Amino acid sequence: MIELASVSKVFLGKRTVTALENVDLSISRGEMVSIVGPSGSGKSTLLNLIGGLDTASSGEIEIDGRRLSGLSDDELTRLRRDKIGFIFQFFNLLPTLTCQENVSIPLHLRGWPKKKIEERANELLNLVGLSPRREHLPDELSGGERQRCAIARALSVYPPVLLADEPTGNLDTHTGAEILALIRDLHERLGSTVLIVTHDIHVAESCARLVALRDGRIEEDRAGRLKYGVPGVPIHDPAETH
Amino acid sequence: MILLKLISWPYVRQHLPRWLLTIAGIVLGVAVFVGIHTANQSVVYAFHQTVDRIAGSTQLQISAGETGFDETVLDHVQAVPEVRVAVPVIEAVVSTGVQGQGNLLILGVDMTGDRSLRDYDLESSGADDDIDDPLVFLAQPDSLMVTDTYARENHLGPGAKVPMSTMDGQKLFTIRGIMKSGGLSSAFGGNLAVMDVYAAQKVFGRGRKFDRIDLALKDGANLEDVRAKLKTLLGTGFQVQVPSARAQQFDSISRVYTLTANVTSVFALFIGMFIIYNTFQIAVTQRRTEIGILRALGATRRQIRTLFLGESVVAGLFGSILGLLAGIAIARGMTGYIASLLGEIFGIAQKADEISTNPALMTFAVVLGVITSVVAAVIPARSAARVDPVQALQKGKYQQLSAGENRARRIAALIIAILAAACLLFERYRIFFYVGDALAVLAALLLTPTFALLLARALRPLLRWMRPVEGTLAADSLLQAPRRTSGAVAALMLSLALVVALGGLTRASYDSIFGWLTVALNPDLFVSPSQSLTQRDFRFPESMGAQLRAIPGIGEVQLVRDARIEIQGKPTMFVAADIADLRRHATLPPVAGNTEEMFRLASQGKAVLASENFALLNGFKLGDVVDIPSPSGMLHLPIAGIVTDYSDEQGSLLVDRALYKRFWNDSTVNIFRIYLAPGAAEADVKRRILDTFGNQRRLFVLTNRDVRRYILRLTDQWFGITYVQIAVAVLVAVLGIVNTLTVSITDRRRELGVLQAVGGLRNQVRGTIWLEALAVGTVGLILGLALGALQLYYSLHISAEDMAGLRLRYEYPYPIALWLLPGILLVAFLSAIAPAETAVRGSLVEALEYE
Ligand SMILES: Nc1ncnc2c1ncn2[C@@H]1O[C@H](COP(=O)(O)OP(=O)(O)O)[C@@H](O)[C@H]1O
Ligand SMILES: [Mg+2]
Repeated sequence: MIELASVSKVFLGKRTVTALENVDLSISRGEMVSIVGPSGSGKSTLLNLIGGLDTASSGEIEIDGRRLSGLSDDELTRLRRDKIGFIFQFFNLLPTLTCQENVSIPLHLRGWPKKKIEERANELLNLVGLSPRREHLPDELSGGERQRCAIARALSVYPPVLLADEPTGNLDTHTGAEILALIRDLHERLGSTVLIVTHDIHVAESCARLVALRDGRIEEDRAGRLKYGVPGVPIHDPAETH
Repeated sequence: MILLKLISWPYVRQHLPRWLLTIAGIVLGVAVFVGIHTANQSVVYAFHQTVDRIAGSTQLQISAGETGFDETVLDHVQAVPEVRVAVPVIEAVVSTGVQGQGNLLILGVDMTGDRSLRDYDLESSGADDDIDDPLVFLAQPDSLMVTDTYARENHLGPGAKVPMSTMDGQKLFTIRGIMKSGGLSSAFGGNLAVMDVYAAQKVFGRGRKFDRIDLALKDGANLEDVRAKLKTLLGTGFQVQVPSARAQQFDSISRVYTLTANVTSVFALFIGMFIIYNTFQIAVTQRRTEIGILRALGATRRQIRTLFLGESVVAGLFGSILGLLAGIAIARGMTGYIASLLGEIFGIAQKADEISTNPALMTFAVVLGVITSVVAAVIPARSAARVDPVQALQKGKYQQLSAGENRARRIAALIIAILAAACLLFERYRIFFYVGDALAVLAALLLTPTFALLLARALRPLLRWMRPVEGTLAADSLLQAPRRTSGAVAALMLSLALVVALGGLTRASYDSIFGWLTVALNPDLFVSPSQSLTQRDFRFPESMGAQLRAIPGIGEVQLVRDARIEIQGKPTMFVAADIADLRRHATLPPVAGNTEEMFRLASQGKAVLASENFALLNGFKLGDVVDIPSPSGMLHLPIAGIVTDYSDEQGSLLVDRALYKRFWNDSTVNIFRIYLAPGAAEADVKRRILDTFGNQRRLFVLTNRDVRRYILRLTDQWFGITYVQIAVAVLVAVLGIVNTLTVSITDRRRELGVLQAVGGLRNQVRGTIWLEALAVGTVGLILGLALGALQLYYSLHISAEDMAGLRLRYEYPYPIALWLLPGILLVAFLSAIAPAETAVRGSLVEALEYE
């Protein structure tokens, strides 16, 4: 589903930063992968490259059999809007639009007919449990609700890949757990491939696969060591992970 | 000062394009201001200079309007013991007919006496030195002296023969002297020729008359005493003035034009102010974090305010200087145009090749630019000082800087609007009328943000229907950040309102002039000694009338003599014609008075007919007595009728020709108005006239169509200032919108990033910027067209009562509005292209990162 072959990303500027260096990574359809690593290790850069928000300095990225290199800006956007849903740490909802309107944006941008958009938006809001808040503006929602809304927006066309960059980073522990449970639930029900960047080691370990980055390289790529029953609550002693 | 360097300079460097946009507002304002003023002043100055240089050491000048006076007056003046020297002068401007040479000013003088007043500094030619003897010059009536510049440009040497079309047909003149540059010879831009005054009488068909007497006094004689003495000696029909007073006539005649030009230029600056206001307001919103940090570090409110005001001074200074340079460039382009316009309309030809850069005006413009800039920055600087450090430092939180301000502003606007309406009740006091106009504009300005918000709200569903995402976001951008747009909208509104008002005025004037031309101006042919009807330097002898009548195909010939004379100190067009003749062809009913009665009284020489604009501008009513100075004494004639006549800007008086001949002792004719006999063909008659007079007379035959076209072209040119205004409006639209959008895309960077991240194509992102531009344009248009409707009302009144004396019907200029609609929207769209490109170029990742 997602193939990276010796991908590097170098930021040229006053001082040159190598954010990713020769990363090889292969993720199959339907996997749920957590990405961990210290701040500045290149997690966001990795996600941005996979999501086509940025382009690699060298190496090859393939999403669902399509190479990203050489695509024009608009081709990249088309690929993104068909295959990828983004969930951001800071939600990135548009403040002047209601919950439902925010969810509808990607559908409008695709030029869907009104009626279909409305049906889909309702379906999505149901899915994330936000139906009662449909007419509210982002300002009137709690952090958790905002992230649910953002998730609904990311899911709008049920993309095969969901990319979440610290989706709980701006939420309290309890709400964060709820959001993770939701993502996990969606992953299972919809069968999407999920990449999630997190600092929460419990969350990371409870994913089937864990990729650890350090200084732009993959330090570790292994199975998660935790099973989960109740959302966000580990079954085994966390100490085991060390 | 240190703050300016530490804080402002880095910001300016970082946002250079935007800072330049701020300046552009001032540049625009100052440039138009300086341009129009300088062009206007250059023409006026050139006229004053010419008058001054021609005057030489003349202390007093005697004239009788433009009508001239008998030669015998000279003897009376010379007999006055205090007069050292008095000489006759004829002054005329002729078209050289040489491409690029324009007009030539011809001075007819009496060489014997004149040299004690004027310094004819001749180049010694060696070959033909006899010119140094004035008697030789006199003895040869075909002598001509030219300036060395004129000689050089036309490759004329001493002895060269120059053909000239005179009232006695084509004549050859011989150059018998070339004047060295400087002094007299630099008058009229150097396009000056001198001939004998008696030769000039013949050339111009003046009969035995002089235009003027120039004189100097004996040592010890008191100027004022002699002046008074001469006035009593000559009577009220004569003006005895110092030379500079003559230059003031020019000012008085071109007053209306100057006034209109000044209004436009001040308006440009005023509009520039809103552009500056807008940019500063935006800068404050964007730099609130920085302000917050400064405040947290201990900067006082006053220091913050001073910082912003300091920036505005620098911006104002910089912009003013750029504007000054641009203005001088504009003036260069306009001076010639204004000079020829004034020449054609008022018959006061002037050559102004050089622009006079008046240091006082330049300084004034810079000071005005800086003041405008500072005034525009006052409110933004106050908001900056009010920034709350705690709130400003919280990421993503926007402090509502304008809360409470809105309500206060709406209330103020309401009160001002009521006051403006109240002023209309006292309309007859002019001051209240003008104050009312100013208050109405002020109220509209105060209400702009409110109206803009309401309109944006109304536009949202429409935009949303057009493009659900892009349209909605565009409308929201206006709704979310009214500060970003209100200045641009206000500027656009003001300039469009002025376009509508001026355009409406133009159209109404044009319509009534056109109507008058069609109905009242009914002669088939006009025979004139000059190509233009406003040129009155050449005159026909009366006898030509009979010769014309004898030409087959001519049914009727009317003899018309017009000249400007001073009525109540104002130069007024005085027209003498056979009233009984006019009566036969009169088509329009009088504005006031009884048709039969007024023609009867006027034809008996017992009354005058006044044009409507004369009556309105000078406050005369039907039956009022006008005091008309003539060389034979003051005439007191009642106004028997007020008629529609647009032949002169300042209004005209019409008297019977018999009366004019008697009191002015002048039988010359300016124009023959000709009605064809039934069945005669216009072209045939025209050819016959030209054949008959061939080259024994200088004459031009104009058809009715020629004259109409000529007058309409003049009217067009007169309203050329409207086009300047439209250009300013378009520039304002561009500046305002580019300005607003540049900021908008910075502010909305994240939003636009999100749009792209969730699948928006480049064109969809561009779309939202374009729609935002169209929305700003639409709001500006709606408000501008509405305010224009109000402003047109004021303009029509000002024009009727204070400027042109034309009573015009109120009619909204829909065609102009219909042109502006797509025009401004197109401009809005074009202005959005560059910002839209910037919006899609930036890095997505950076856009999505939190602030
Ligand atoms: N736009 C950029 N320009 C320059 N350097 C960048 C940019 N984005 C990220 N970096 C650098 O790349 C490295 C990796 O960043 P990032 O992927 O954001 O790390 P993480 O998300 O793991 O904290 C960091 O050293 C960061 O400073
Ligand atoms: Mg990161």
